Amino acid sequence: MPDTLAIHTADLRKTYGDVEALRGLNLAVPPGSIFGFLGRNGAGKTTTIKVLLGMVRPTSGHAQVFGLAADVPESSVEIRRRIGFVSEDKDLVDFMTVEAIIRFTAKFYPRWRTDLEQKYLRLFALPADRRVKALSRGMRTKLALLLALCRGADLLILDEPTSGLDPAVTEEVLQALVAHVANEEAAIFFSTHQIAEVDQIADRVAIVDAGRTVVTGALDDLRESYRRIQFVFDGDAPEPTFRARGVERVRRKGRVLSVLSSAGTEHIVEEARALGPLSVDVVPVTLKEIFLETVTAEG
Amino acid sequence: MVWYKAWLETRWRFLIGLGLVVLGAMGAVFTYPQVASLVTLGEKVDATTRVGRAVVESAHLSRTYAGYIWSQWFGQNLPQYWTVFALMLGSGGLLTQASRGGALYTLSLPASRNELVWTRAAVSLAELAALAIVPALVLPLMSPAVGQTYALGDALVYGVCLFVGGTVLFSATFLLSTVFSDMWKPFLIVLLVAMFVAVCRQIIPALGSYTPFGVMSAETYFRGGTLPWAGLIVSALVSGVLLIGAARNIARQDF
Repeated sequence: MPDTLAIHTADLRKTYGDVEALRGLNLAVPPGSIFGFLGRNGAGKTTTIKVLLGMVRPTSGHAQVFGLAADVPESSVEIRRRIGFVSEDKDLVDFMTVEAIIRFTAKFYPRWRTDLEQKYLRLFALPADRRVKALSRGMRTKLALLLALCRGADLLILDEPTSGLDPAVTEEVLQALVAHVANEEAAIFFSTHQIAEVDQIADRVAIVDAGRTVVTGALDDLRESYRRIQFVFDGDAPEPTFRARGVERVRRKGRVLSVLSSAGTEHIVEEARALGPLSVDVVPVTLKEIFLETVTAEG
Repeated sequence: MVWYKAWLETRWRFLIGLGLVVLGAMGAVFTYPQVASLVTLGEKVDATTRVGRAVVESAHLSRTYAGYIWSQWFGQNLPQYWTVFALMLGSGGLLTQASRGGALYTLSLPASRNELVWTRAAVSLAELAALAIVPALVLPLMSPAVGQTYALGDALVYGVCLFVGGTVLFSATFLLSTVFSDMWKPFLIVLLVAMFVAVCRQIIPALGSYTPFGVMSAETYFRGGTLPWAGLIVSALVSGVLLIGAARNIARQDF
């Protein structure tokens, strides 16, 4: 049911002049999940997040957070009261000190967690008296994360949270997020183009391309249902038209015919056997392969 | 806390302005003895030209301390300083911050855009009220130092007229700041318009009471003891409309 979801969008569209940033995006983010929002640069990830936060109004379709309409100013304020947000550029108030921006932010959130604030100040080794503009990229990200995590939020929306970070800090940030979800029962919706991060911490994923959702589901289900089937022929591979459902992508290269399936392999193999292949191999696929195949195909 | 952030964003513009107008007010008081000694000289200037007439009138007004203070301070220097800082305080804001990539954090807080815009306007207007009233209060305080007195009531009247009359300039800049993301464009546009109006007022004195500067200097109060009520009411109404326009403009934009 949409009203029980942390995030729900239906046929969400956003047009800037002649540019269609979102072209019918559908999302369903359950509460308590870590949801990876994967897409190439310019796929519509940031626009989606801005719609959810009430910063951008959709051209058509619906966007709801906790069952509240994101495009209604009053409910948008309520949505933001229940959300922790980290922007891609780690936007903060540059002229404040670390201590001042923490105090400033805390005043907006009645459920502010002072215990978490102390914990993350220590864990991230943030200098309380330093101005935000003097912080390194890594420190800035950690501060942005602290400010999001301590709000007592039911949902964290993170736009490319690890962009520009070195591997050590990236790992530190990802671990903090996983620990937070485990301890606080909050959902995380994070956009990224780093497939490894989604693989590492997400339990659900949506792959978005050119403003549309091309794949979505539980990560384990995707790993289970997606398979690559490789047929080797003694001459050039034929150009079959499969009737079986779940055929996502078919590639021919010399003697090899490769099929990406999202719904079982039995019927596809059955159909292909009629073409007389020399060998048939069914192999699991990684999220990276699913991403590259679906995004390349759609884009 | 939105108030606190608006204050932090504008405080240096305000404090620099306050320092300048207070020093200006003190300067006006302490230069009076020298000016008074030059009054007779000024009155001998050839009054057949426009500049000559202005010098003679200024010298004539400076025969009294109250006339000198009005002609030099409330009628001239203070409105000029105040206008510059009104335009500076009206510039900037959410759109400028958004264009520099610095507004997302503020916009992600549980505060409506209306709240952000109106709070910023209210803080700036409070600062502008201080920029009008504080230097006015300096006069009754400092005048005894040069052997003069200045009525507190008069000082407050001039301060209030300056503030209310000048809010139009602030509000116009504030509105343009929701149209142009560049910080200086609104400032320069309104400054040029203000300068044009000021020049027109000099060339055609009859326009005086129909311009913001006529209201800001409270000339009718100085010459006849009558407050420029019509100008004050129109200024307040126009300012309100401009500020409502600014709030609506920010609310409807995607950023």
